[in-house]
Parts: sequence; structure tokens; C-alpha cells
Amino acid sequence: MPGKKKVAEKKRQRTLETPRTAEEVTRLPAVVPPVAYPIETLVPEARQQTPAVGQRAQRVDARMHGLGQTQYIDDLTFPGMLHAKIKRAGIASARIVRIDTSAAEAMPGVIAVLTGREIPVNSFGATIQDQPLLADERVFHAGDGVAAVAAVTEQIAVEAIGRIKVEYEPLPALLDPLEALKDDARKVHPPHSNIYATKMIRKGDIEKGFAASDRVFEGRFRTQMVEHVSLEPHAAIADWDPNGRLTVWSTLGRITLGRADLARTLKLPMSRIHVIATIVGGNFGGKNEITQEPVLALLSRKAGRPVKGVYTRGEEFTSTTTRHPFIMDYKTGVTRDGRIVARKVCLVLDGGAYCSFSETTLGKACILASGPYKIENLFVEAFAVYTNKTVAGAMRGFGAPQTCFAYESHMDDIAAALGLDPLDIRLLNAFDEGSASPTGQVLQSVVVKQSLAKAAERFGWKEAGQ
Amino acid sequence: MKRRGRGIACMWYPVGYTVTANPSAAVVKMNEDGTATVLTGTVETGQGSLTVLGQIAAQELGISTDDVYVVSADTDATPADMGAIASRTTYVTGNAIRLAAGRAKAILFEVAAPLLGVKPDQLEARDRKIQVKGFPQRHLAIGEVANRAQVDMGQPAIGAASWNPPTVALDPETGQGKPFATYVYATQIAEVDVDDETGDVEILRIVAAHDCGTPINPMLVEGQVEGGISMGIGLALHEQILFDDAGRQINPNLTNYLVPTSLDMPEIQVDIVESFDPTGPFGAKGVGEPTSVPTAAAILNAIHNAVGVRIASLPATAEKVLAAIHAKRGRATPAIPAPRA
Repeated sequence: MPGKKKVAEKKRQRTLETPRTAEEVTRLPAVVPPVAYPIETLVPEARQQTPAVGQRAQRVDARMHGLGQTQYIDDLTFPGMLHAKIKRAGIASARIVRIDTSAAEAMPGVIAVLTGREIPVNSFGATIQDQPLLADERVFHAGDGVAAVAAVTEQIAVEAIGRIKVEYEPLPALLDPLEALKDDARKVHPPHSNIYATKMIRKGDIEKGFAASDRVFEGRFRTQMVEHVSLEPHAAIADWDPNGRLTVWSTLGRITLGRADLARTLKLPMSRIHVIATIVGGNFGGKNEITQEPVLALLSRKAGRPVKGVYTRGEEFTSTTTRHPFIMDYKTGVTRDGRIVARKVCLVLDGGAYCSFSETTLGKACILASGPYKIENLFVEAFAVYTNKTVAGAMRGFGAPQTCFAYESHMDDIAAALGLDPLDIRLLNAFDEGSASPTGQVLQSVVVKQSLAKAAERFGWKEAGQ
Repeated sequence: MKRRGRGIACMWYPVGYTVTANPSAAVVKMNEDGTATVLTGTVETGQGSLTVLGQIAAQELGISTDDVYVVSADTDATPADMGAIASRTTYVTGNAIRLAAGRAKAILFEVAAPLLGVKPDQLEARDRKIQVKGFPQRHLAIGEVANRAQVDMGQPAIGAASWNPPTVALDPETGQGKPFATYVYATQIAEVDVDDETGDVEILRIVAAHDCGTPINPMLVEGQVEGGISMGIGLALHEQILFDDAGRQINPNLTNYLVPTSLDMPEIQVDIVESFDPTGPFGAKGVGEPTSVPTAAAILNAIHNAVGVRIASLPATAEKVLAAIHAKRGRATPAIPAPRA
């Protein structure tokens, strides 16, 4: 029929810019209808091969990710579920004089409000439990949470935290890690020293080593604070059953330890806590510790309803952990032909307001700081210090990218000064099978020279010349 | 004009926690048809670990990756695991799963041995069969054995195990000891163009040669390396949280805090360096974190090679590179007021 054809043509000509009529808009479904996918799927051959090891087997979750069907926490919803928001201090260092939540509590749609004083054990941390879940007496960095709200919609929760009044007595903030190292520096966590972790490695005699060196080089290197920027922000849902058993769905990368932290902070037996980690949209170390889980659990207990919390991108930056900024001093004695005789390293880690994974980062950085090189005379010392900045914690490499940047920059400076090829000076000094590490460990399956040779060959290093 | 440079960086990196115990436990359950279910307390955080762990169980049982389903990350259903951290999943959790699968397999061997007229230690599991070593024609389908174990013998093939990497505590004065069970090694080489009039750095290609012991799944190793390099590029050139004088972040958003996108990614050539670690599952170590360790160092060395300036503080922004080039040429540059880092 010619009339119908014309209509179809007209529809085809429509572009994205064509304004929709009101009628069309109202006809759009509120929720995207579920799409049925064929269950009979083609299994890639590599997944069906034996032996299984060495196969380029497709990931089990690849199809779900590819079709956009993976259920992340923000995709989950439960009947009666509330949405939580946490009020952030926005001030780096202060004493909390009072918190007035009455205006927020009076808002229609607000079901529960929580402050730090209501948390049974208001502290957590990987090695030192110095971090409050919600700051109750003191604020140690601007991203600290001071109160939390659960409301029927996320918008109401956002508005409600805006109505919470917190009176602060501002205190001077300590921001420079080198300043924090000084004996007379103001203490971030009085009466404790700002230096909350130290590590040392001593091998051979560095003074003799430097004396025996033909040339001695020095350099200072610094790195910045960065965020993990996982695509999925920190998210969790807490719910209680009528027997008083808690279930937490969370983006945690370590549920065994997450459950232990929940038990400790909530003073609950572990048998009454069930932690379920969903498929996590990126971790990189940022999701190693609990964040809002106990807060959501307590809001849920007050409200008697499931409570979901999803961090904003802003909170990901200001209120979760980051990579430690490092200040690294290197001093290296070498022979004329480029062999390293002695190395002295001093590392200062800006840990931010709380310890978090600083001890681990400090330890790994200290052990790795001299590089994959045979060095007879070595002295490494490292300090982690508190400042009133965003917390530094676990992040992919635990101090290794920072120290690698320093020892490899330093190595190229030495090579340039001695007129050596950067590849050759590395091959001269690199570990062999059975070399002793800085901690005196005999190393096995050592292939650093093979990796240097392989990369140089693939790159065409020698062909390109200097 | 654009000046080309190349930079090399190598590294070493440990697998597992520093000294501290970090066990993983696992349960492997053989189904009656010769497929298997693995229970692990680790969490898939995007790295493909569940696939790799399934491959390890499959290898031990002589079945395929697709024959194994991995249940993970539920404190009620799965055993203790110290989690997706410290590049430990393939090595530590993998070892636990291999041991657990070995225990399930031992039950299958016990059931199959009298049927094949041999002792259990004369058997092996390969290609979905339980067969006599050296006489593969004498075999039973693994499903048949699993079914017989459960239905006839009343002894379902289930294995449980845990594993913890052996370490020795460090002396507090000298730091001497054995903090980790094993380490991986890698080299990356970057080729860059640096515009000496703007300070802009363009990364043209990165060559990466990584050791991970036996690559359980080479495709996922390559994926980890590419992802790690993108993170390393961010650390080298773009990313930095900035603070105002009062200690508040001034760029907590993805408009003013720049992460590398697909447009910033150079050509990446990945090589897996041949190695075998006898302490790992089938010789495997790990690859997660190390992939982003040498990237920034290689890029900064390439900048040095291209324009002769040493940028000693990350990130090497165009402003910083240009100021260093000007300083090297002895030209006065107007100072750029830097926010507190």
C-alpha cells in the first residue's frame, strides 16, 4: 500500500536530531526490557582443549561483559532498599565540636542517620587500626566521613547530608612529608610520632664500597599521588535477616579479611556475617580494605531495610586510598666499567592521614629499591610519615613503580656519564640464577637478563645504535 | 621539532605477602560426569583469575577448561583466601587448587586401579581419561570413574587443600631473611617523540618482555601486560592528584585528572620470557602488578634520550619537560606557579 510505504520512508529519514513528540516520549519504556540471548553458545575451541595449561582460553566472564550483562553492585536492587550517602569533612585537620543531624532526620524520606560515636569499634586498618569509619572527634584529612544517611532515594540522601551541620575547630594541617619527618614537627596523631613505620636493609659495608668506587653518583627522585581509577567505584549493599545475620554484597577484593574487619568493627561473631563479592570492576589495590561496609550495615540495622552505597567519582579520589608519593635519594658507587660497588638509598613515603597499607608498601619498596642488580654493599632505609592528606594505601606494585623509576633513571644517568650503553650496564649488573637478593635470599628462576635480551631483540636496540 | 628517543627499564617483583602468612584454601569436587567444580575464596577483579584457576584444576584432572566451573568469593560457600592482592592468585591460590584437585584425583585413581588391574600410582589423568602410564590404550573415561566412585563405591571424589608460600622473617637491624617465596622479572623499552617546542611527549611503541613462570593462559598474560602499561603511562605522563594550600584536592574528577585513554595507547609488543618455577603450579608465578612497574621508568629514560633532560619527578607533563629543555638551553623561562603536589 503506497500510503504505508510513505510513512515507513518518513520514519527512516528521521535522525537523532529530529525532536520527539510528547506522545512518543511517553510511549518509551521506563526500563530497558530484558533481551533474550540464545543459551546455546559456541564454546571457543581453546576452552575445550586438553591439556588445559597454556591454552589461550577465553575468559568465563567474557560473554557477559561483551553483552553488557554482568551484574555489578549498582545493578542489584532489593525490595525496600535504601540509598546511603556519607558527609565528607572537606577540611584537612580539625576538632569536631558538634554534629547536628536533626534537620536531616526531619526530612521526609530519610530513614536513618549515623555518626561515628554509634559505631561499636570505630577503627580499622591493615596493620595499625588508626582509621575511623566515620570521624568522631578529630578530622585527619578532607575526605574523612563525618556522618551518614540512608534515604529512600539517592537524591534525598544527597540533600540530607547537605543539611547535617558540623561545627569544626580548625587545626593547622601538615602537608609536607619532609616537614613531617622533623623532630619538632606538629604531630598528626598526637602523641604518636609522625614516623609510623621504618625499615632497613644492611648488607656489606657501604663506606668501604664507596671508597673503593671509581665514581659516585647521586640523585633525588620524586613521585606523585595517583588514584587507582577503577571503572567501578566502591559499592556495597548491607542487609540483615530476622535472625540478626548480616549479608554484605561488596566490591571487596579480599572477602576473608573483609569479614574479619566487619566482625571486629560491628562486634559480631563471624558466623553471623556473610560477605559476597560480586564481579568487581577493577581493584588495583584500591578495594583491599573495607570502606563503607560497616556504616551501611549499621544504617541497615537502624532502618530495618537493605541499604546500598555507591561512591561518587569524587569520593573515589578524596576518600579512598591512593598511591604513596615517594621522595627517594640514591647514591651509587661504580667502577669505571660500570659495575655497581655500593648503593645507599633513603625513601620517604607520604602515607597521608592513616597507615593503611603503608607498612607493606614500605617493606616491598625497601627490598626492591636497589633494583634487580648484584650489589655487595648496600644500605637502604625507609620511613613512612603521616600528613593531613588523602590516605595512601595498596596500589598495584606497592612502591615498586616508584623505586623502579628512581633506580632505572639513576642507572641511565650513570651509563651516560660513563659512556656506556644502557642495555650493557644492566646486563653487567643484573641478577643471575642463584644470586643473593638484598635480604640475602638465594634467588631461583631468575630471568632478568633473558628479559633484557628478549626486549632488546624485539625492539631492535643494537641495530638502532646509540 | 620532534625528537625521537628510546629508554629501557628492567625490574624484579615478588609474589605474595612480605613474610606474613597468606594462605589460600580450595575445594575441588568432581562431578559424576567427569566435570568439576572448584570452590575458592578469591575474587575476580577483572584480571581473569577465575579462568586461570579453572585451567589449573583442569590440568591436574586431565580435563578441559570448559569442564571446570569455579565458584568464588562467598564467605559462606568458599574457603579462606587472602584475596586478590600482591600478584598472588595464580601462585598461591593456584597451588592450593592444584593440591585439592590432586586429592580428588587420588580418589579417582583408587577407584580406577582395580578396574584397570594396576596400582593407583601407575595411573595418570589425561584427555578426560584415567589411563595407565605408558599404556594409554588401557584407560577408562574420567566420567565413568567419577560416577563409579560416587554411585557404586559411595566415595565421591572431593579434595580440599591449602597452601602458604614459605618465608623467613627479616632481621630488623639488617633486613636479612627470605621475605618472599619467589620473584618475577621484566624489561620494557619505550620509544617516544618529544616536541622540543611544546614539551609534549608522544609514546610511539612499548616493547615488553615479562617473566611469569609458565604462562597458564598466554592471552590473559598479554592482556595484563597491556593493561599494566596503560597504568604506567598515566603515572609517567598524566596523572597527579593536586592539593590546595589547605590540603583539599583540587582535581578530584576525570576532567582535570587525566587518565590515559585508548587514544594515548602506543603500539605494544609483548613477549613472555621462558621460565619455570618449581614452587608454582605447573611452574607458574604471577604477572598482575609487575606489568605496570617498569613503564614510567622506560618512558622517562626515553625522554632523556630524546632531548637530554632528566625529569626527576613524576609526572613528566609537557610544562615540566619544556621547562627542563629551556633550562638546559640556558634560556630564562617564566616560572609556572606549581600547585602543591
